[in-house]
Amino acid sequence: MGEESGGERPESFRDFKDSFFYGSRTDLNFKFLEHLTVEEASAFFRDLLAALAGAYDTGRWQRVLEFVRRAQGVAYAGAGRWRYEDRPRAALARPLNEATIALITSTGHFVEDRDPAPLGADGMTQEEAVRRIRDFLAAEPTLSEIPVDAPASRLRVRHPGYDIQGVRADRNVAFPVDRLWELADDGRIGGVHPTAWSFVGACAQLPLRNRTGPAWVRRWKEESFDAAVLVPV
Amino acid sequence: MCHVSVGHVARLLEASGTPTVIIAVEAFRDRLEAMRPPRLLTTPQWMGRPLGRPGDVGTQRKVLEKALELLESVT
Repeated sequence: MGEESGGERPESFRDFKDSFFYGSRTDLNFKFLEHLTVEEASAFFRDLLAALAGAYDTGRWQRVLEFVRRAQGVAYAGAGRWRYEDRPRAALARPLNEATIALITSTGHFVEDRDPAPLGADGMTQEEAVRRIRDFLAAEPTLSEIPVDAPASRLRVRHPGYDIQGVRADRNVAFPVDRLWELADDGRIGGVHPTAWSFVGACAQLPLRNRTGPAWVRRWKEESFDAAVLVPV
Repeated sequence: MCHVSVGHVARLLEASGTPTVIIAVEAFRDRLEAMRPPRLLTTPQWMGRPLGRPGDVGTQRKVLEKALELLESVT
């Protein structure tokens, strides 16, 4: 897991690339390096440096950003462990411009005075959350209610699984409540449900699927929204 | 794991009769598709910013509109 080897064994390239994944060089934008083979990660660094030099000469920095984005895709390619054959599908009961839309995200947002205190810890910092990623992955998630008219200044975010800098700079990158309001104002949707919900998606999956999730859905059935926009990170 | 959690929530909501649409970065496409979510929009963004970069209101809005159109297109 990328811990320093204490001098007995020189750090290998594998150690180095894996250390970005909850190790001595934790970086949630680049933790995907752990999912790459040594050969893939080696090519990533070589080509990244070449892309940087190319961008200096051409000014096309967007290509560097695209290069990193594609590498993230390589790292997560493939079906993974959770596969289903059936595709449950409900229909929208009314036209979109009459429908009330709810926002549900796994971004770890909450309102400042309603900290969900994950893992029983009061006032957990982002750094502590990252350190405790394994505890999060073993625990059932807590659902936070967020009034959609809560000002951005009262919104907090904490999550052990992704870089929150983007969403801190602008909540709409993963919690698009302002964009939903605008679409309601323009008449594209009927309205925004007054409550949004968020939880930390890095959690125990079987309890979520079999117990927590069904309980949330029973609760949501009591609410009057026609459809939900779901945003994972 | 975040994308898997949302895949599970989407499946549960749909089974209960509430339509959903997921907006996720392309990196998660394979893993989300394997969960057979009813409607999925993937975007060419870095992880953690599925709607677009901070302050890019135009992109964020287009992504959201496209996602909402998926809700309407499936009956």
